[in-house]
Amino acid sequence: MNGVAAISAVVSVGMITYASRAGLIVFLADRPLPPNITRALRYVGPAVLSALTVNLIAGGDGVGGVELVEVAALATSIVVAALARNLIAALAVGMTTLWLLLWLL
Amino acid sequence: MPDGPAHDDDRSTALTAIRAAIPLFVPAIPFGLVLGVAITDSAMPTAVAWSTNLAIFAGAAQLATVSLAATATWLTLVATAAVINLRHVMYSAAMAPRFSDQPRWFRWVGPFFLIDQLFALTSVRATMPTAHWRRFYLSAGIFYFVAWTTTVTVGMVVGSSIPTEWRLDVAPAIMFAGLVVLGLTNRPGVVAAVVGAAVCLLSLEVPNNGGILIGAVSGVIAGYLADVGESRRADRRAAAVGRR
Repeated sequence: MNGVAAISAVVSVGMITYASRAGLIVFLADRPLPPNITRALRYVGPAVLSALTVNLIAGGDGVGGVELVEVAALATSIVVAALARNLIAALAVGMTTLWLLLWLL
Repeated sequence: MPDGPAHDDDRSTALTAIRAAIPLFVPAIPFGLVLGVAITDSAMPTAVAWSTNLAIFAGAAQLATVSLAATATWLTLVATAAVINLRHVMYSAAMAPRFSDQPRWFRWVGPFFLIDQLFALTSVRATMPTAHWRRFYLSAGIFYFVAWTTTVTVGMVVGSSIPTEWRLDVAPAIMFAGLVVLGLTNRPGVVAAVVGAAVCLLSLEVPNNGGILIGAVSGVIAGYLADVGESRRADRRAAAVGRR
């Protein structure tokens, strides 16, 4: 990605981020969102972040870009995150699994 | 002397805010370091990738922006980051009443700092007096901004000295997966996450990483429908109990 494309992307994402944070505070003050919208917004986080995880693991090469060691590391980190409810522990165990498998295989 | 009792009070509010803000920042440190490494690895020029700290100031959207630069088109990158940030609309909605009696400048400046941690910290203190709350909010917000930018920059310095065999490029995916799991509080949330991941996996061959958005939209719809279904069942159960 060249400089101009990168700068315009960062500026655009920045403006969208600010707009999503400020929009209702600046312009809507006290009017609440319709309950259906609030209900749908609640699921944006899990849906987009899990899709992004899959995409990053594939690394832009389709299903062929998925490595077994990466999937194993991801799976252990998900289990640890669910059990320990701790992001640092999940990252540490996931990366350790990856290093162990890379060293063993 | 300008240092009257009011000034002491201002200073102690700022200190209280920062002291309350620190524990919530600690878990974000590894995330900041991972982002720093991702910035040095980014397909964007490093200075531009670093400037996401100032322009975006949202960890997940920043990580998506700098990581996707290698594979996604401009439009997919911006659209994905935009969707990631949609959750801020919820924060904005929840915080709007607390901002309604604040001065206009603060209504414009305050939202810039509205990250997850600041929301968690200040939404529960909404009963503070207006000026007091504003000072608390800004002190904690500026602390997070400085601490975050510093942590990411440290990550860049550390990251550039770590060999590629350590495969730190996998860390962002693990980070996102962990964020998903920690954010799951109910069954419809699990449905949204599973459907989002599955549909993205099935649409990996869609050009320009379009699978992220297809997966995200499918996940939101599935989560929404599961939520509606769940509350209908709860209503029916309540009605059945009422008839007895």
